[in-house]
Amino acid sequence: MKKSTAQRILQDPEKYAHHDRVFLNNPVVMQGMGLAPLVVIATTGLNAGMLAVAVTLMLTPSRVLACLVSRLFPLSEDPDKEQLQKMLLPRALVYSLSAAVVYLAVYPILNALFGTNLLSLGIYLPMLVVEPLLTYRFGRVQEPLHKAVSKGVRITVGYVLLLLVLGCVREWLAAGTVFGTPVGRYALLPVARMPAGGFIVLGVLCAVWRAAVTRRRAYLEKEARDLISVHDQKEAERKE
Amino acid sequence: MKDVVNTSVVFFGYALVAIFAQNAIFTRALGVSRLVHLVGDDRTSSWLFGMQLCITQALVAPLAWYAGSWMAPLPFRAPLRPLMYALCIAVVCIAEHLVLHYTALPWRDTLLHLVPLAGLNSCVLGTVLVERTQSFTRVQSLGFGLGSGAGYLLAVLLVTEGRHRLRSRAIPTAFRGMPVALVYIGILALAIYGFTGHSVIL
Repeated sequence: MKKSTAQRILQDPEKYAHHDRVFLNNPVVMQGMGLAPLVVIATTGLNAGMLAVAVTLMLTPSRVLACLVSRLFPLSEDPDKEQLQKMLLPRALVYSLSAAVVYLAVYPILNALFGTNLLSLGIYLPMLVVEPLLTYRFGRVQEPLHKAVSKGVRITVGYVLLLLVLGCVREWLAAGTVFGTPVGRYALLPVARMPAGGFIVLGVLCAVWRAAVTRRRAYLEKEARDLISVHDQKEAERKE
Repeated sequence: MKDVVNTSVVFFGYALVAIFAQNAIFTRALGVSRLVHLVGDDRTSSWLFGMQLCITQALVAPLAWYAGSWMAPLPFRAPLRPLMYALCIAVVCIAEHLVLHYTALPWRDTLLHLVPLAGLNSCVLGTVLVERTQSFTRVQSLGFGLGSGAGYLLAVLLVTEGRHRLRSRAIPTAFRGMPVALVYIGILALAIYGFTGHSVIL
């Protein structure tokens, strides 16, 4: 761990964790975004993979497009009631319609890549245009372009990671395979392929993930404290 | 007279199917991300949100039905579908916003805040897409749309009640909040399968 990272962790552990959209502040586990496709569609590794490609192609471009257009309806840091009433609806429409416009370009690519397999995503592929994962930003302060790109990429990585993990776990539980390859002799939990099973498996996965996050954060803070104290000792010895 | 009775039966039949057998949350997880936030947010009234959603669903259903019929012969309808339906939702949301803005209805400020949240929601778009996928007629779409909104409200109330009872210290820390709410929704969904089976068309 670098000293600058240790200082950032000790200065504001919440801010440090908030910045990490892959593990410590995963958009699904910590913020509950994008749950519907996870619960219903991510039943196999292949489905999860197709959805992951769709989200990868859509999330950052739509966020960038929305960021540019929503400058017409900027929201300040602490908006008053009047500004919220005036800006919230146009901003929400900008974010959803931007995603729908990006979908126009993304759909032919997905169709070329996956062909008829794409039909197994059903209504959950077009539904991405109103997923909070892509549109949650409308109720927040106007972000600059570089932040839209960087957050878009980080959120995509975090979501795709969880999507693939959940898809593989559910396929293993429901069919005893992972990406079609047999793993073990039995299907341990056939209900995992249904939405009810999806809710339960996702709930358990979120709990395990959250427990791991708590441990990781405690470990990082301890490491950062130790590193800074060793560094301070060395500094003191050097001065002597 | 017979036509009126038939239409009413179809309307209420589809509304009932959407509330129970094909509940938006328990069978298709439509709008579950918003639900998870809603039940954890004491500042937003579940009743008002549910009411706003029902109104939006009922208004969007006929508009989307006409848009779907217009798009049906187009060769590039698949990529165009979300944009068209999002535009239908946008028209309804703007109309609701204007009505609320120029009238003095009770809870006006809260409802103005809820219009985009209840409109641009995967429950609304998902229901419209289901109606198209299953080739519903206009009356069926209207009944199903209204029923989906009512079913969503039912799910919100059930999960809110469940969440109040799931504050026990016996629940491991990592499960508290969203994870245990998801497990609870899963168990409720299983109960619904017990009545209806699970054969939902996506």
